[in-house]
Amino acid sequence: MRATTTTTVLESSPLTVGELARAVGAEDQWVLRLVEVEILHVDAPGEPPERWHFRSSDLQRALAARRLERDFGANLDTAALILDLQSELRRLRALMGAHGLA
Amino acid sequence: MDFKDYYSALGVARDASDEDIRKAYRKLARKYHPDVSKEADADAKMRDINEARDVLQDKEKRAAYDQLADHVARGGSPDGGFRQPPPGWDEGFEFHRGPGQGPADHADFSEFFSSIFGNRGGMGSAGMGGQRGPYRERGEDHHAAIEISLEDALRGAERQLTLRAQEIDAQGRPHLVNRTLDVKIPAGVRPGQYIRLAGQGLPGHGGEPAGDLYLEVRIAPHKLYRIEGHDLYMTLPVTPTEAALGAHVTVPTPGGGRVDVSVPKGARSGMKLRLKERGLPGKTPGHLYLLLEIALPPADNEAARAAYEALAKATPSFNPRRNLGA
Repeated sequence: MRATTTTTVLESSPLTVGELARAVGAEDQWVLRLVEVEILHVDAPGEPPERWHFRSSDLQRALAARRLERDFGANLDTAALILDLQSELRRLRALMGAHGLA
Repeated sequence: MDFKDYYSALGVARDASDEDIRKAYRKLARKYHPDVSKEADADAKMRDINEARDVLQDKEKRAAYDQLADHVARGGSPDGGFRQPPPGWDEGFEFHRGPGQGPADHADFSEFFSSIFGNRGGMGSAGMGGQRGPYRERGEDHHAAIEISLEDALRGAERQLTLRAQEIDAQGRPHLVNRTLDVKIPAGVRPGQYIRLAGQGLPGHGGEPAGDLYLEVRIAPHKLYRIEGHDLYMTLPVTPTEAALGAHVTVPTPGGGRVDVSVPKGARSGMKLRLKERGLPGKTPGHLYLLLEIALPPADNEAARAAYEALAKATPSFNPRRNLGA
């Protein structure tokens, strides 16, 4: 079976709350919680959730939060801290790489 | 295809409790987590334990797997070879997606897993076996990764992707089919970005649409360039003469062209030269950084040795170990 398909990159066609929830197998409410605990950042938090948009890095963080919840029973506040530490670790490793130390 | 022993993968006994499995999984997941593990095969181990946990922590999947394991133990071939589950092995089992289980991760699971449970994130109630009534449900979204070259990421490309997916045949039995997709990779895509293929996820039921397929872009290691965020890094070897006196050198750019670069007088190893906006393209284009590395000409002939000696005589006060107090 073979098919040609239309492709879009999330940077040019961001996801809505519902689409992000579906992509990680969660409910919309769960995505709202991710914004509340600042695992996800929205451009305009004052806007209603129907106007929020999410890009690749958001999907990546949402998937990672889902795994931490599922694999380690982490609550979302703990997951937020772990994800921030992971980001910092990657930033420092990139910095080391940039100085030829990695 | 080898029969996979999921109990061994987690290091637990066949009668392990859910709590035993959870504890074993968490211990191993910490050991092989790609951000912290120093083990060479951490990625593969992580895949194995994820797959084992997925089956053993799901009551229905575990019972079905146990039944299959018993069947193989009774009549399996001596070399442990395993082709397909026997007909009817799953009768009476119904696989559900448990709370908190996302659809992701399964794309990496083994052929053995796919042969038993299909290439499905969580088995919907229309999964396998059992009696069920008509219902309507949009297909689940599906995740996979695609690795492309840096050149393809910069220029865009078309790639064929083969995915294994489960379909239900006329007799209502699941079977695996290979689906080949022609995927257009847009120019300027970056690692970690997701490409969404609408309607290429799992099929819907009762007339509902199929889910979407999300492809995470990974870029294969390149012999010249290293990617850091939007920026690219390349080591630029220069001679001691070029570093000391300054020079114009020609370097390749990731887009396929060449550019003249000015090496400043007195350049040192580790010095970074920036070629503005020659990194990954995008709304905020990245830069191309050149890391200078001074390459010494070999002193393998009389003239070269004489030149080194002349240099030493010409710079008598130069002491590279001054900071050591030596």
